[in-house]
Amino acid sequence: MSCVETLRTQAYLDGELDGTAASEAERHIETCLECQQLCADVAHLSDALRRDASRHRAPDVLRARIVARLDAEDSRHVVPFARRSFWFGAASGTGISAIAASVAVMLLLPPSAATLAQAITDDHTSALASGHLIQIASSNHHVVKPWFAGRVDVSPPATDFAAQGFPLAGGRVDEIAGARAAVVVYRHGRHVIDLFVWPDHGSMLPGNATRHGYHVLFWKSGDLDFAAVSDTERSELEKFVGLVRSQPE
Amino acid sequence: MDTRRQRFEAQALPHLDAAYNLARWLARSPADAEDIVQEAMLRAYRAFDGFRGGDARPWLLAIVRNCWRSAGADTKRRNHVALPEEGGVALTSDEPDPEARAAQASEGRRLDGLIALLPNEFREVLILREMEDMSYREIAEVTGAPIGTVMSRLARGRAMLRERWLQEVPHELR
Repeated sequence: MSCVETLRTQAYLDGELDGTAASEAERHIETCLECQQLCADVAHLSDALRRDASRHRAPDVLRARIVARLDAEDSRHVVPFARRSFWFGAASGTGISAIAASVAVMLLLPPSAATLAQAITDDHTSALASGHLIQIASSNHHVVKPWFAGRVDVSPPATDFAAQGFPLAGGRVDEIAGARAAVVVYRHGRHVIDLFVWPDHGSMLPGNATRHGYHVLFWKSGDLDFAAVSDTERSELEKFVGLVRSQPE
Repeated sequence: MDTRRQRFEAQALPHLDAAYNLARWLARSPADAEDIVQEAMLRAYRAFDGFRGGDARPWLLAIVRNCWRSAGADTKRRNHVALPEEGGVALTSDEPDPEARAAQASEGRRLDGLIALLPNEFREVLILREMEDMSYREIAEVTGAPIGTVMSRLARGRAMLRERWLQEVPHELR
């Protein structure tokens, strides 16, 4: 090879050039026999590689092992040590036992108490950190409440409790435990309170929890499940929950 | 199931085949490739909070490659990989004509063997470009090499592979 433009010609063939650079490369190829040959060679080889060479697909058993490892990783932070070591043991197996383990994880852990509380706190903190806390910002419940219609299957209460020290700030929609939940956002002093509301599917709700300084309170009302999460004081959060529960739906 | 897990399943897990294909072409055996991918997925999951949007594929494949490198650090590397017939599932087009399919399969095996004999640094850029259809920038992200290096390795790898391919190929197949 003696042409100094072969890398540019290759870049042209690989779709890396556009506009002026592509036109320049084309003009060069028209006049350079060596680059014309390169074009034919690269195309020929590329066709053969894409048609005949093996592109390996991940075996199903590997996929199952990975899912089991992710489940083990998820429960690592939230389950007692005895169960954690069981899942780690199960997940480190191979073949049939690994598939069995991943199936078992799916059957036994439809959002368990611990994972649900964890999911709620994780969602709350990541929403705080990412700046995606609020999708609809309004302190007017005539704005916030209808915003949820069509976005979620529930119509959450969105009363403004500004007079009681819990002004309505807005709302967002998030996935919790595989269901779309309405999240009504309130402020309380410097703190943010997220009120999660999702359809009740008859599953058990976890007991109230405190994780990394965040309190999570759960309750059911009508055909809805509720969770309130905040890093405000527990008694303040309970006061807030009392206000929400006192509202007619 | 929390939202982080769901984001991971939506953004990273769909690239499992790409991850396995790269590992399979880098590692010495299908079993090694599986171990590498499993380790990489776990590392990726733990590091997922640090992933800031965009296409997760180059990010994930870079982790796969790092896992392969650290897995190989304690053993002497050989510069070739296991051939596909030793296991795994090959994704080839479904050619209806049995004779053509047989010819294609044998051509595929021959090509696989030649790719496997390429030095790692040329093999990986070819796999990423031709099988994963990655841009130079993405290949640079996966391999940690500058784009100029990616370009020259690609050119060199193509020339090497083509030369070996033509040496062996019967004339009627060309």
